[in-house]
Amino acid sequence: MSAPLLQVDGLRVSVAGTPVLHGVSLTVRAGEVHAIMGPNGSGKSTLAHVLAGRSGYAVTAGSVRFDGVDLLAMAPEERARAGLFLGFQYPVEIPGVNNAYLLKAALNARRRARGESEIDAFDFLNMVRAKMRVMQIDEALLTRGVNEGFSGGEKKRNEILQMLVLEPRLALLDETDSGLDIDALKVVGRGINTLRSPERAVVLVTHYQRLLDHVVPDQVHVLARGRIIKSGDRELALELERRGYDWLLEAAAAVA
Amino acid sequence: MSALERLLGEFAALGAPAGAQRAAAAALRANGLPTRRDENWHYADLRALEGVAQFRSAAPAHRDATPPLPLPEPLEGYTRLVYVDGVLSDTRSLQNSPTLTRLPVESALAAQAAATDYESSGDGRMGLIARMFAPDPLALQVTGSAALEILHLASSAAANCHSHVSIDIAAGAHLTLVERQLGHPAAAADSQPPATLYCSSLELRLGAGAQLRHTRLQQATGHSLRFNTLAADLAADASYVLCQVAAGDGSERNTALTRLQGRAACVRTHALAAARGTQAADSQFTVVHEAPGTRSEQVFRGIASDRAHVSCSADVRAEASAPGARVQQTLRGLIDGHGAVVNLRPRLTINTDDIQAQHGATTGRLDEDLLYYLLARGLEPATARSLLKWALLGEVLAAIEPPALRRAAERAAAAQLRDATATELLQ
Repeated sequence: MSAPLLQVDGLRVSVAGTPVLHGVSLTVRAGEVHAIMGPNGSGKSTLAHVLAGRSGYAVTAGSVRFDGVDLLAMAPEERARAGLFLGFQYPVEIPGVNNAYLLKAALNARRRARGESEIDAFDFLNMVRAKMRVMQIDEALLTRGVNEGFSGGEKKRNEILQMLVLEPRLALLDETDSGLDIDALKVVGRGINTLRSPERAVVLVTHYQRLLDHVVPDQVHVLARGRIIKSGDRELALELERRGYDWLLEAAAAVA
Repeated sequence: MSALERLLGEFAALGAPAGAQRAAAAALRANGLPTRRDENWHYADLRALEGVAQFRSAAPAHRDATPPLPLPEPLEGYTRLVYVDGVLSDTRSLQNSPTLTRLPVESALAAQAAATDYESSGDGRMGLIARMFAPDPLALQVTGSAALEILHLASSAAANCHSHVSIDIAAGAHLTLVERQLGHPAAAADSQPPATLYCSSLELRLGAGAQLRHTRLQQATGHSLRFNTLAADLAADASYVLCQVAAGDGSERNTALTRLQGRAACVRTHALAAARGTQAADSQFTVVHEAPGTRSEQVFRGIASDRAHVSCSADVRAEASAPGARVQQTLRGLIDGHGAVVNLRPRLTINTDDIQAQHGATTGRLDEDLLYYLLARGLEPATARSLLKWALLGEVLAAIEPPALRRAAERAAAAQLRDATATELLQ
């Protein structure tokens, strides 16, 4: 068995003094796809943002190692350059900063961190165009401001496009499926599957199992009230779809 | 002795001033200089006036003298006029332009001697200093299509530069006007007074259907003090676009009044102010809708770094005589320093029942959500901050034509913001 790509141990996190995560442990190895499911307010997005390095979250206990390195000691941009990608639940609009520029700047930052030279402009455009076709994104959006005036579906597809361009070692996708229609969900699923490889891992944060019809996970975890209360395989997601979360919450409460 | 007394004293010592100059001095004597108690001058750095050692231009530079700066590359197709210390150093290029005519200045300015309230007692009062002391007032008439570039240079770090330019654009004529206020390179290293004082007065009259595209790039350096005063009158169907980039000066105040006097006249103002250190950049853009179907758009973007002050008042009045007017204002300011201050004042005065008006103003620091998004993509914090600042300014900079001038404006803004990332990208 390979060494963990992401190792989360006993992670406790507070936001503005309120504990949100109460000791989360998670091991993700290269080549795996994990799904983290759970009801609203369970701490899923908090976990994603803590891993990506957003400020405003206080880690009160526990550790996170990414490829053997202390992830919590790294700045957000260092995490990204080390190969961690966060797909945002609510991608922001940045008028005036065009998509092509951001993609190129982000890619070159990652390449420099790996000791590689900056990408040639021609090669960059060819590569991005190919990936845009996979994501069925109009090339005209390249010259628009980042997510400026994009529909909800276009924003989510743009997040996956960024992921495909940056080729992260670990992609954390925070409710990438929310707000997508069936066709867009297929496109996003195809994009995520494109990234799957023995060297990479994906963590999907989602409410529903419908994305998992397109991206089949190796493991499914249920995060509730700041703890992972159950883990299993894809069958667990299907069972959650049938039965909801209450039975698990009651069982967890009984154990506690 | 107050600044006003010294101003009038210096004027009295001038030999045989012209009628328009005397009228300006009389108006100033009668109405005085604005003070910070005047609402529209509240944020202007008027105290700097008291520190001015001399108001008039020093010994006039020699006409046809070699300009003191390496001049910017000429803009293709433009007639170029160069002012050095307010003196027109070369006017030969005007002779080659069939659509630009230099009018006899005495008669042209005498015809306008009856100054409006704006010019004699209102916000345009600082233009009186330019009218009093401009060594080479200029009156032009545009017929047909013309492109004119006016450079304002200083011969030393302490030279004063005053100009008074009046342009009539005939009905149906088109003018592309570029003004560059460059200052003197020695001023860059000299952050202490004595200051260079720049006062300009620009009067524009657009006939029916006339079009004016006007770009003003202020990139003087050092401890300069600038008062630009502009008045534009537009007849029916006339169109005026002003792009203004203020990226320099120790202290500056830009005052502009546009009167939309004819049916369906329109004005668009895209202005940017970037200030750092202890600089103060104040702008007052007033538009008066006087006729039906007139349109105005005001876009302002300001960045105050360090302990700088940036302010903008965008004042639109739609009179009862202007039904069907359309008004749009968007003002945005970025506070980029612990002691920095941004004041934005969007104001609409509506005296007609039939109007479409939108306005908004936002001031704040860099949006942490946007910054985090860029950092999460691996960008360096300095690069991410730089990108967000440029995103703010982009709307104004993108409107500048031709591209060579836009690049100059971008470089000036990058230098003003001391943005090494942007400077590198602009190489």
